[in-house]
Amino acid sequence: MSIAPLSKELTMPDFDIVGAYRRILSEDSELTMPVAAIEALVEAIAASSVSTVAETLDLLSNLTSILKASIANPISLSAGTDLFQRYLITTLNRPAALNLGSNDDFKIIRNHLISNGNLFVERAKQSREKIASFGTSFIREGATILTNGGSRVVGALLRRAAESSTMRFKVIYVLSSSSSADAEGGRKTVADLRTHNVPVAVIPDSAVAYSLGKVDMVIVGAEGVVENGGIISRLGTYQMGLLAKSKGKPFYVVAESHKFVRLYPLNQFDLPIDQKILDFSISDDVKAVDGAKVAEDEGVADLGSSEPKHSAHTAANAVDFTPPDLISGIITESGVLTPSAVSEELIKIWF
Amino acid sequence: MAPGVGLAPGLTSFLKSLKTSAADPSVEYLISLLKRRQIRNSRPCAIATAALISKVVGEFKGNDAARLLERIRQVGRRLTAAQPREVVVGNIVRRVLGLVREVVEDNVEEKLATGSDTGRSTPTQSQDLPSRPHLNSTISQMSPLRHAAIEPIETSAYASDMSDSTDLTKRPPLLTSHTSYAPSSAAPLVNSLFGLFSQPADSSTASTPTGPNSPDGRSTTHSLNLDRLVDLSRSQQYFDLKGEVMSGIMELQEELEQSDKQIADLAHEHIHANEIILTHTASTTVQKFLTKAAKNRKFTVVHAETYPHDNEATHEVLLTGRKQDAAGKTHDDDDKWKCLTELGIPVYVIPDSHVFAIMSRVNKVILATHTVLANGGLVAAGGAHLIAQAAKSHQTPVVVLSGVYKLSPVYPFDLDELIEYGNVGAVVPYEDGEFVDKVDVEHPLYDYVPADLVDLYITNLGGHAPSFLYRIVADHYRPEDTVL
Repeated sequence: MSIAPLSKELTMPDFDIVGAYRRILSEDSELTMPVAAIEALVEAIAASSVSTVAETLDLLSNLTSILKASIANPISLSAGTDLFQRYLITTLNRPAALNLGSNDDFKIIRNHLISNGNLFVERAKQSREKIASFGTSFIREGATILTNGGSRVVGALLRRAAESSTMRFKVIYVLSSSSSADAEGGRKTVADLRTHNVPVAVIPDSAVAYSLGKVDMVIVGAEGVVENGGIISRLGTYQMGLLAKSKGKPFYVVAESHKFVRLYPLNQFDLPIDQKILDFSISDDVKAVDGAKVAEDEGVADLGSSEPKHSAHTAANAVDFTPPDLISGIITESGVLTPSAVSEELIKIWF
Repeated sequence: MAPGVGLAPGLTSFLKSLKTSAADPSVEYLISLLKRRQIRNSRPCAIATAALISKVVGEFKGNDAARLLERIRQVGRRLTAAQPREVVVGNIVRRVLGLVREVVEDNVEEKLATGSDTGRSTPTQSQDLPSRPHLNSTISQMSPLRHAAIEPIETSAYASDMSDSTDLTKRPPLLTSHTSYAPSSAAPLVNSLFGLFSQPADSSTASTPTGPNSPDGRSTTHSLNLDRLVDLSRSQQYFDLKGEVMSGIMELQEELEQSDKQIADLAHEHIHANEIILTHTASTTVQKFLTKAAKNRKFTVVHAETYPHDNEATHEVLLTGRKQDAAGKTHDDDDKWKCLTELGIPVYVIPDSHVFAIMSRVNKVILATHTVLANGGLVAAGGAHLIAQAAKSHQTPVVVLSGVYKLSPVYPFDLDELIEYGNVGAVVPYEDGEFVDKVDVEHPLYDYVPADLVDLYITNLGGHAPSFLYRIVADHYRPEDTVL
């Protein structure tokens, strides 16, 4: 980016990006974090009076850093903001690509963006449906599927499979007993599947290895898909991946491609977030765990929590990193990718 | 196969009858041949399908691409239904479908590029995008003649080889690039991450160049292209659809012929002096590969005979160096067929049950394949999984030789569907009635080998890691053709 340094009052907008983000998330429970972040940024651009490409990009990067700073786990969100930024850079520098008019008419591009705001949301929801339709072909007659958490894509996929055919399959659902939003979402999916006559067994995390012998395939959702093809997902996914690998069961990830995030973690502790899972202590007075804090899956997370960033991540809402060698395939709206395809997709938009 | 008057029905007789009969009866004939397994195995199926499709295209009247696509698709559906496990049939049909789409897109874009200054969204953007991996795709959108100029390295490496054997004077720049590295199909991937920002397909208007204002355009404009093409081709016959598709099919057929040779040319990089190579079943590709290496290296071959379904063919290959049902390829008699032992290579035939015992001494496993699937797994003659597992536990590298035409965009959702079962009598003779009565005998002809047991694929484009195959699939097939 070639952004000329701008004066301070221009770069520090008074638009409440965090508020907008939270509002967008709470208004539509179906929304994912990256999409909500994009929505919020579009609103911010609409509210601002920027008139040049450089100003827009600058505004964007400022807002993005504010947003990231205020959210405890900004990994998923940053996938959206990065994507939006790349998109703007590629299109703003080449307005002709949009076919909207003469080359330097910035206004038109801006209007295009703003007027199409809700289109993005539409698209995002469409892609979930598309994934569901892709994914159902993975579920075969008589199969038993192991899944975890309250991922809405997985829910949509299983629901679609239950609705769309006479196929019989069973689901083993790994759910923690906590009252986190993630577990809540999972319970909703379970109830939903049961009304569709799909037999569902709910098991705790500790029973994964025990149940694996009865399982034909593992399907999980993801908060972010990282550059090496691994995924960042709710705590416990990594061990499911390890166990599935050791038992030779296919392990599929369902994620929309706007969750692809440019991170390259090599191990669990490389994630750019502060998780207090390993809390070594020599005293046994256990601090009251902040059980009320909502866990996140793809967005519900940041709703209620208004405390500043780096609030302690407890095991209830923490994430872990599942390396690519445990993943058989990533089901996205553009097809079934192997983990190594992820970096190519990312490289395409970044370089 | 004895060439003669009383030709047994098979590939040769089919190709012969194709010269005289019309497309529709030929389709019926091929369907019956496939059903009766008189044409079987990947290469004969591929050759027959390509020949038939070229006949179908040749007899197609008019210049309406949408109808041509539908016609090919319909033939393809019937052929694949006749023998779903010969995945290659579907592959060839999909390749031709992709070819038609490419011809259409090239011409539409050319037309629009010359017709209007604004240009359409897709070419403009993909040319502007500084994405290095897609150089070839952007070039290809301009002119089919430029393909060769920016051919991917792997292919261009063979350009010289090919020029010896093929009639270059016809259309030199095309070579295999058109078919074997279908470049513009990479384009749908270009901006797929921006898919979120593009407009839903239904909201964009089609027919004017400025219409599709979606920034990535590609996915939506595929279908639009065709609609537009229908209009265009009805009003003005400005390009020779059939001619270009036919020449594309010819290249495809050329690729089928050349792929073994191209794979064999890589032999020196993979087989080293004094190595012990383990292979299985009767495969022309593997034999050519080993023969090529044998010309200036000394090594040892251990051949698992794949009893009971392929042992006769395997013995045949070892004796004559030639696979029997590679017949119908009389035209490449200039190729010397020599068996490995004649070239001074010691060959040991072992039963499949000895594979594990011998694996500790093997340096490399070379497998032939029936079909390669999009996830990097493969379907090969029964026993392949055993060999691959044994190799895995001894950390012996497993190399799979496969022409690109065997690479299928089909994802193996259900492995059981892919495995064919053969004559049980080959395992336990029916005369042994008492035994057959008491025991269930099964005879799977194929094995599915998961991707993580394979270290390297060698195709006519070069060597690839199993995880890279998705990319070759994306380069050769259009996503909209995956379901025929």
